[in-house]
Amino acid sequence: MKRRTLLALPGLIALESRGARAADRIKVGMLKPNIVTVIYWIAVRTGAFEKNGLEIAENPFPSGQTAAGIEQLMRGGLDFYLGASGEVAHADSRYVEAGKPPPIALIEGGIAGGSFLVLQNAVQGQTLDQLRGQKLRIGISNPSSYHLILLRAFLRDHGMTTDDFKWQFLTVGGPEMLPAMVSHQLDGFLHDALTTTLALRSKVGFVFMSSDRGDMGEQAKLLPGTGVCGNRAFMDKNPDVARRFAQALRDASAAYDAAPKEQMVAVMAEWSRQDPAVIDDVYDRFNPRVGMTRQAVQVWWDLLGSAMLARGEISPKLTLNDIFDLRFIRSE
Amino acid sequence: MDTIQPVSDIGLRPNFQRHVRARDRRIRLRRILRGGAGILAILLVWQVMSQALDLDLLLPPPLTVLRNGVTTLSLSDSHWLYGPNIYVHLWHSFLRAMAGFGAAAIIAIPLGLVLGRVGVLREFVLPAIKGVYPIPGIAWIPLAILWFGLGDAAVVFVVFATTFFPLFFTTEAGARQINPTVLDAGRCFGARGITLFFRVVLPATVPFIITGLRISLGGAWRMIVAGEMLASQDGIGYVLMESRFQFRAVDLMTAMILIAIVGYVTEKAIVDTIEKRTLEKWEVKPS
Repeated sequence: MKRRTLLALPGLIALESRGARAADRIKVGMLKPNIVTVIYWIAVRTGAFEKNGLEIAENPFPSGQTAAGIEQLMRGGLDFYLGASGEVAHADSRYVEAGKPPPIALIEGGIAGGSFLVLQNAVQGQTLDQLRGQKLRIGISNPSSYHLILLRAFLRDHGMTTDDFKWQFLTVGGPEMLPAMVSHQLDGFLHDALTTTLALRSKVGFVFMSSDRGDMGEQAKLLPGTGVCGNRAFMDKNPDVARRFAQALRDASAAYDAAPKEQMVAVMAEWSRQDPAVIDDVYDRFNPRVGMTRQAVQVWWDLLGSAMLARGEISPKLTLNDIFDLRFIRSE
Repeated sequence: MDTIQPVSDIGLRPNFQRHVRARDRRIRLRRILRGGAGILAILLVWQVMSQALDLDLLLPPPLTVLRNGVTTLSLSDSHWLYGPNIYVHLWHSFLRAMAGFGAAAIIAIPLGLVLGRVGVLREFVLPAIKGVYPIPGIAWIPLAILWFGLGDAAVVFVVFATTFFPLFFTTEAGARQINPTVLDAGRCFGARGITLFFRVVLPATVPFIITGLRISLGGAWRMIVAGEMLASQDGIGYVLMESRFQFRAVDLMTAMILIAIVGYVTEKAIVDTIEKRTLEKWEVKPS
């Protein structure tokens, strides 16, 4: 019954908005299946796009393939992309270094970080100092992983770098992290709430650090765990469409807040292709809502921007306005 | 009765040899000039296209790539984001490539020789090998990670799986197609068993083995990149992947050119040396 109500919701909203105007068709890319981009699916399922006069051409990319999505966005093959933030800075930096205008911009982001360093139960050590000399193989979804940048930012604040540790960062797709840990190919991973929950449920690891707990610094709690970015040329030409796209995601966030847990668990399980029981566990550990504020933008820039700058990943010429298009960010 | 004087005695031979040497030099020079002109033309088109179409961030011009290559190789890149220096990456890739390629050579060459000469065994074994052959090297990666875990062993296995087949098939074909007259001639001189194998079969198959080694070594470098992109945290494949995530096309192209250079040098150093040692030793003329 509940499922039926949920499925009927977009139809009702679409009927309501029909006749108002023809929907603008936009090309949207996203990581799929991936829990951090679930807000997109909530927007689809709650009819938020239709309500905002948008028709979506969906372009999924597998976990870890963020660079492919960003490349498409830069070329204009996509109008918007969900699931990246550090990569936007990297890509824009190359253009700024070459004296060209940045081609893409972040326009929205998740509310909370949701970054976890999970270690195998067998790993000995309660503090970072105790882990320092240990040769650990840590899985990351890609070399420019947001979680890795966040860890680097935290270490930098404490006068350390990842080079001070004897850790190996191995690139492993999100869905493969748990099997790799079970088969002792990884000693841990840096990833999101879903992978963390799966590891905890199968009792192979424990949470060593959690950004939401403040283990990666107090400011990390404010960091957007995921980014929504757009092609600047498209957004300059269609600012209203960009505004409506960001609004649709915020509407979906509001719908998420208002909906009963079990309904949202069903939607999230469908998108992430996970057992609803797993999503039920993730629910309290993960906040899929977007609604990035200018304060969060500043935190992103201060924390992640400076970590990337210190490592030489981005140019000193790059500014906050090169990465973010503040026209679409909430003022508070 | 008049006796025929040897050519060298009447002074023709040194002149002839000089002439041949000069002709060879001319041919070599012409080949180098033509090859160089071809490469230069490509570089020129690349440079002009890149600048005219403003593609420097997607297709960095050769001069930029060259500059970047020099900076990378002189270890003076202040924006080096790829862990250890480029020589360490290249060395690790080289070791993995050689381990996979070496293992393939150790198994494929003897197996190819045996199956090429023993028909009964060939009928038993060849269908199985031919059945596995169409599986592309890259398809072995997930299985390799499952079997060997993330790391060197998986990459080495994938290189092995890629390089084994060309080496095996060329060796087997070479051993199978030895002219029976050559074998009979060997037998006439009393060669049997191991002696026949080492004096006749192996030398006659060497040109085929050399071709197989050349094809396999190229394959090893192609596969090492794919393997390291997925299951490694160092090596030239890792540099390629990381530079993609940093959107540094110039680093990507530099790494690609380094792979080409190292691949070429490796082939020259290994295959050409083997070729020289074996073909010259046995005075075999490549067909």
